[in-house]
Amino acid sequence: MSAEQSKSVGSAISIKGVVKEFTRGGQTLRVLNSLDLEVPEGSFEALMGPSGSGKSTLLNLIAGLDKPTSGEITVAGARLDRMSDAEITSWRAANVGIVFQSYNLLPVLTALENVELPLLLHKMTSAERKKRAQIALEIVGLSDRMGHYPRMLSGGQEQRVAIARAIVNDPKVIIGDEPTGDLDRNSADEILKLFEQLNRELGKTIIMVTHDPEAAERATVIRRLNKGVLA
Amino acid sequence: MNLPGLAVRNIYRNPVRLALTVAGVAVALLTFVTLRTAVMSWDEAKNYTLKDRLVTRHKITFVMDLPKNYADDVRDLKGADGKPLIRASTFLNWFGGKDPAHENDFFATIAADHNTFLTVYDEIKIPDDQLKAFNETRNGAVVGDLLATKFNWKVGDNITLESPIYGLRENGEPWTFKIVGLYSTTSKAVDRQTFYFRWDYMNDGVRAEAKDRVGWIASRSVDAAHAAEVTAAIDKRFDDADTQTLTQDEASFFQGFMGMVSSVLAIMSYLSYIILAILGLILANAISMSVRERTNEYASMKAIGFHAKTLASLILTESTLIALAGAIPGVILSYLIVDVALGDFLEYNLANFFPVFRVKIWTYAEAVAAATVIGLFAGIVPALTVARLNVVENLRRVA
Ligand SMILES: Nc1ncnc2c1ncn2[C@@H]1O[C@H](COP(=O)(O)OP(=O)(O)OP(=O)(O)O)[C@@H](O)[C@H]1O
Ligand SMILES: [Mg+2]
Repeated sequence: MSAEQSKSVGSAISIKGVVKEFTRGGQTLRVLNSLDLEVPEGSFEALMGPSGSGKSTLLNLIAGLDKPTSGEITVAGARLDRMSDAEITSWRAANVGIVFQSYNLLPVLTALENVELPLLLHKMTSAERKKRAQIALEIVGLSDRMGHYPRMLSGGQEQRVAIARAIVNDPKVIIGDEPTGDLDRNSADEILKLFEQLNRELGKTIIMVTHDPEAAERATVIRRLNKGVLA
Repeated sequence: MNLPGLAVRNIYRNPVRLALTVAGVAVALLTFVTLRTAVMSWDEAKNYTLKDRLVTRHKITFVMDLPKNYADDVRDLKGADGKPLIRASTFLNWFGGKDPAHENDFFATIAADHNTFLTVYDEIKIPDDQLKAFNETRNGAVVGDLLATKFNWKVGDNITLESPIYGLRENGEPWTFKIVGLYSTTSKAVDRQTFYFRWDYMNDGVRAEAKDRVGWIASRSVDAAHAAEVTAAIDKRFDDADTQTLTQDEASFFQGFMGMVSSVLAIMSYLSYIILAILGLILANAISMSVRERTNEYASMKAIGFHAKTLASLILTESTLIALAGAIPGVILSYLIVDVALGDFLEYNLANFFPVFRVKIWTYAEAVAAATVIGLFAGIVPALTVARLNVVENLRRVA
C-alpha cells in the first residue's frame, strides 16, 4: 500500500489537483484551479469565500452533482471522477446527504413522507421506512410535526426536515450549501447546533458553505476559497 | 408513501387543471366513440339486407313507374331448365302521403299488394285477426307500431292523408283509410314507422292514366346464391319491351347507396383519429405545464439520488393516470349519450340506416387503450426533459 493511499483511508473527502472550468459562449472560465483538499473523517468544516469564488462549485463536485474538468475526487472511498452518472447517482443515494439553502421539500408530501423519500431508493418494508424516518425527525426535534406539509412549517422547521431527509440514509458525509442562508439568527443557531450534534454524536463528516462568520465559528475547521484555490 | 403514490398526489395538485384536462379527454373520447359507432353501425347495416330479395324498377329512374303486368312476368320467370326462378313477388307504389294533423312529421306511405306483400317481406309481422281484417277491408291500412305510438293511432281509427303525387281521389273525395292493424318486425333493419295500405284501393282512386302502374316490384329468388343471374334474367325479360327495368338485390342496392356515403364514412373515420390527436395535445399540454412548474423538485430528487429513469417513469405514470382518469368518465358519458340516448333514437327513427346503433365493447376498449397509449406518449417529452435535467443548473436558479 503506497503512502498516498494510506493517507486517504482516514479521509472522508480527498481532492487532488482538481480543475473546474465552465465554457459559456466561447469563453472559458476557470473556477477551481488545481485545488487540493483533504477532509478527515468526522470533521466539521466551514467553507468561506467571496461570492463567485467557487464554493458551490466545489460542493457540487464533492456531492457528485457535477464533474471536474480534471483531477481526482475521492469521497467516502469512491473515485467520483471515474464513475458514470448512473453510478454516481446510486452512490450518492447511499453516501451523501445534501442540505440546500432553499429547503427543496416536495410540497405534496408531509414532513414524514419527505424524509421517507430517499429510503425509496433502498429495499425495505414500508414499516421500516416509516420507523427510520420517524427517528430522523426525532433527531432534528420535529416528532410533533410529522404529518405537517411544508407550507405549514416555518423556514427553520423546513430546513430541519431537509436535514432529517439528508441523514435518514445514514450517509457518511453531509454537505450544506449555505444551509442557514435564509434563516433568522435563532433558527440558524438551531440548525448549527443540529450540525454540531450530528458531527459529535453520530460522527458525520460535515462540510458547510457559509457567509456567516458566527456560523463558521461552530465548525472545527474554517477554510477560505479565493481565486480558485484554498487558502 | 411510494412513487406511484407520489404521482397520484402530483395529479391532484392543481384541481382546476386536472378537471379541465379530464373533461377534455372525456369529451374527446365521447366524440371518438360516436364517430366510430356511426361508421361501424352504418357498415353493419348491410348485414341486415337480404341477398335473395330483388327490387325491380324503371331503368331510368325510381320516379317512373312500370306496367302492373310486369309483376306477373317477374313472378312467372323460369330458368333455362324450366324451373321457376322466383318464389315470391309483390308490387308497391310510393304514395307520398301526409297527415295534415302531423304536417312536419315524415313517415313513409306505401301502397302494397295485400295478397303477396308479406310473402316477400316476411320480417313484417301482423297478428292473424288484423291480417284477416286487412284482407277484408279495401281501404284498410297497417301501420308500424312505433308510428302508431308516436301519433297515438289505434286499430279502428280513420285517417285521412294528402298526397302531393296523386292529389284527390278520381271522384274528388279525399284519401281516407281505416287502420286495421299494427305491424311489428323481427328484423332491426325494417322501418317501424311506415304506413302500408292496399294497392287495389289506391288503384281504384287514381286517374285513368295512372291506373295499373306500379312503382317497383319486389321479389324473392329461389336461390340466393344465384341472385346475380336472376337479376340479369329479370332485366333481360324486358329488354325488348317499351319500358326497360333495372333489378338489384337488396344487398347490392344498399352497397350502391353506401358507395355514395362511403366518402362521408371515410371522413368520419379520419376525424375520429384527428380527435385522438387533439386528445394527445390536450394531455401533452397539461403534463408539460405541470412538469415545468416542478422542475426544481425533480432536480432535488435527482440530488437525493433518484435516477433519471425513475423520474421519467414517475412522469409517464402521471400522464397515463390522467389519461385514464379522463377515459373512465369518457366511457360512461359515451355509454349514456351514444348507447342509450342516441342509440334508441336512431334505431327507432332511422332503422334503415342504423339498424343497430350501439357502442361495441371493442370500441370502448379501443377508446380506453387509445387514451392510455396517448397518455403515455404525451408524457414522453416532459419525461425526457426531466431525465436530462441538469441538477446543478436548476438548483442554482432556485438558490
Ligand atoms: N453552470 C455554470 N455555467 C457557467 N458558469 C458557472 C456555472 N456554475 C458556476 N459558474 C460560475 O462559476 C463561478 C463560481 O460559482 P459558484 O456558484 O461556485 O460561486 P459561489 O462561491 O458559490 O458564490 P455564492 O457565494 O454567490 O454562492 C461564478 O463565476 C459562476 O458564474
Ligand atoms: Mg454558492
